Amino acid sequence: MTETPLPDTIADLLGVGGFFGEALSMLLAAALVGTIMLTMTAFAGPWAKRKLTASFTDRISVNRIGPWGLGTIIVDAVRLLSKELIIPEGADRPAYDFAPIVLAGSALFAFAVIPMGNGIQLADPEVGLVFVFAMASIASLGLLMGGYASNNKFSLLGGLRAVAQNIAYEIPLVLTAASVVLFTGTLQMSEIVAIQQSTTLATIAGIRIPAWFAFVNPFAFVLFVVANLAEVGRNPFDTPEAPTEIVAGYQTEYSSAYFVLFYLGEFVHIFLGGAIIATLFLGGPAGPFLPGFVWFTIKIWAVYIFTQWCRSAIPRVRIDQLIGIGWKGMLVLSFANLVLTAAILGVTGL
Amino acid sequence: MSTQKEEPETPATVDEGVDVDEIESLIGDHVLEREDHLNAPGFVIRADAVQDVLGALKDRAGYDHLSCVTAEEHEDRFESIYHLRKYDDPTDELSIIVPTSRDEPVSESAESVFRTADWHEREAYDLVGVQYDDHPNLERILLPDTWVGHPLGRDYNQEKPQIVTFDENRNPLEEDHRGDGEGDTMFLNIGPHHPATHGVLHVETVLDGEQVADVNPDIGYLHRCEEQMAQNGTYRHQIMPYPDRWDYGPGGVLNEWAYARAAEDLADIEVPEYAQVLRTFSAELCRIACHMLALGTFCLDIYGDFTAIFMYAMRDREVVQNLIEDLTGQRMMLNYLRLGGVVWDVPEPREEYFENVRDFLDELPERLDEYHDLITSNEIFQARTVDTGYIDPETAKDYGVTGPVARGSGVDYDVRRDDPYGYYEELDWDVVTDDGGDNYSRLLVRMREVEQSARIIEQCVDLLEDWPEDERNIQANVPRTLKPEAGKEVYKTVEGAKGELGVYIRADGTDKPGRFKIRSPCFSNLSALKEMSTGEYIPDLVATLGSLDVILGEVDR
Repeated sequence: MTETPLPDTIADLLGVGGFFGEALSMLLAAALVGTIMLTMTAFAGPWAKRKLTASFTDRISVNRIGPWGLGTIIVDAVRLLSKELIIPEGADRPAYDFAPIVLAGSALFAFAVIPMGNGIQLADPEVGLVFVFAMASIASLGLLMGGYASNNKFSLLGGLRAVAQNIAYEIPLVLTAASVVLFTGTLQMSEIVAIQQSTTLATIAGIRIPAWFAFVNPFAFVLFVVANLAEVGRNPFDTPEAPTEIVAGYQTEYSSAYFVLFYLGEFVHIFLGGAIIATLFLGGPAGPFLPGFVWFTIKIWAVYIFTQWCRSAIPRVRIDQLIGIGWKGMLVLSFANLVLTAAILGVTGL
Repeated sequence: MSTQKEEPETPATVDEGVDVDEIESLIGDHVLEREDHLNAPGFVIRADAVQDVLGALKDRAGYDHLSCVTAEEHEDRFESIYHLRKYDDPTDELSIIVPTSRDEPVSESAESVFRTADWHEREAYDLVGVQYDDHPNLERILLPDTWVGHPLGRDYNQEKPQIVTFDENRNPLEEDHRGDGEGDTMFLNIGPHHPATHGVLHVETVLDGEQVADVNPDIGYLHRCEEQMAQNGTYRHQIMPYPDRWDYGPGGVLNEWAYARAAEDLADIEVPEYAQVLRTFSAELCRIACHMLALGTFCLDIYGDFTAIFMYAMRDREVVQNLIEDLTGQRMMLNYLRLGGVVWDVPEPREEYFENVRDFLDELPERLDEYHDLITSNEIFQARTVDTGYIDPETAKDYGVTGPVARGSGVDYDVRRDDPYGYYEELDWDVVTDDGGDNYSRLLVRMREVEQSARIIEQCVDLLEDWPEDERNIQANVPRTLKPEAGKEVYKTVEGAKGELGVYIRADGTDKPGRFKIRSPCFSNLSALKEMSTGEYIPDLVATLGSLDVILGEVDR
């Protein structure tokens, strides 16, 4: 079932081999995936966010530059990058500089093992799922670094909130993912996708419903989506940023290119969350008629749009309530989910 | 009762509600002489007996509302006037006048009797220069700490500009608040530039973790010498535009009415009934616009972004704004009222205008239901607002809290009903109260007040439509120049969107006021912030600030 990873495909196409050939094809593949993701997150993402939020809130939003205002994003990019990079007095220099890179980099790294359909996958290690979570978690380090190194109290509060929140919600997130692994028996991303697609849940009126884990275990799906909202820091869990409370949280003191990187990192994270949800629960790139990559894109966009909907409609919870929900609610539920899944699987011997 | 019936009031009729002899027996030892203000009997007392007198009046005569403290400088003395009234009956008023010598203007502070005196006396010290003995923190409140002189004093040189440089201004960041490693609190400046302060408010906060250990609102960033400017303007035309700049929520007509009410009492002006209806009508439109803004920004503080509910509130406020614009010609600085009436009638064609108003009123219940769906019935929203920012009714009264904030704590006090003016008494409406005392209650009170305002507007439209054409008198005949006789003093309040908005005027025989003092509801409400938010989290502090609905233009004046 496993498709050839993208670097090998490119190597075959170019007919190159050996150490340098492999390195070249890997770089090309990474550049391709990176470009795809960046187009989606940095270009279409902010544009769609504006348009979506505007329609949720009775506004028109960008429409002046380019078709449907798409050119605004380019203008914005030029504007942001040409701004003065202000580094606060007393900033903890290397940490302050690394933070945005760590944040944006960690999310992009994790995309390496996500199967996006049509053979677009950079690597397919056996520990793929663990790798994704490990990489995504590095982001909290970036947030804390940024918050602490800015020498600003609002940033510090934001950084601390980010860490408290990520720890509280990472555990339910991983535990819920573990309940999926119980079904699949493997951590390899391509296998997880393949098993969902090859198993049949039911056949209704001649249409085969594949055993996507969102259908097999809807409870885990809901848990995961909620924990993911907290993980990417969107309403109702956007406390680390919390404009109106702590100005802009960890990114208060960032400007120009660093700000762009922070912003980009956040968007990539939302899309990464969508990619994980799509892979674990929605059958990855699987779907009828359209090519796998299109389906995959549709799925992560669905998750992205969902986060924007939440952002427009749901009030933010307070930080203590958020931690309470995480440790007292989500953690208990995700353990219950894991134990129950294990018990059911053990008894039925699936 | 419309104002015209109140106009010919002499001190004797005002005294009806006040048993002067009983008061005199209560505080007689300290009384130097009697004086009469147009709105209330006054007692001149010794400067060292302020606490005794106010304490006795509060505890034994029921004067539990220190509405305002006015300080002024006369040729031979300084005077502090404590405007006392009862929350149960604001027409039952007393003025306690405390003269002090010019050489040594020291008067006893009333802070230990009324907490609200804290800020009011600081302002009196700041602008006029009266010193208050026994005051816990007699610092400047509106002007920078390094300001020289007291601008409303007689000796103050108004020609000489003063520049306070940034360095000179007290900078809370200057000292290193990181401490010696032993303290476990953190000092945090929220504002003056912060997304949640709705203007330029600086809240000095001491945090213990994320919990608020202490807050101290630092105001004055938007001080524009409104009192001074009013004192330099003539009664007839030059003062009326200024009130629009106090509560620009837009509380335009509500503010203008405060001045109009005081000045009309002072100059014995009768307002035609038709103009009273127009005033009531436009004032309630303004109230809806203000409450919509309050609702939107409060939800902005809870939701954390310019989300749906904020834009919806703005959308509905826009409809009201258009109605106000059609009526007054302006969206923000309305300048609609004139002494003795209003500036013009509803725009022609009248039917079309009334139809627009009715369309708005018809749609409003649906809109409010939508808000209830979106916010008040939202579980997260309730978790955020219920039982946060709590203030009990007694503390609220102690701080002179009025308006929706007081009514959200169950204080049944509304100047429109308790001290009627305009056309309110003839109309059918209710005062909204809620016993919660928390942020949620304050929001509910505002939303239900919008319904009541809509009721009032509907009745006004009915009246305006049926008013005989030849009786549509929008302005009384008012002399071109008004010169109320010297020594006449009046303090009158109206119910602004934020609470009791009062104006005190002392006439000095010229066509300009001798002293013009504004009692801002936001000023008193904001002073209670500390009581509401100490011990809570930063998000609750921000939410509480939002639920107080302060407009800094009105706080700082």
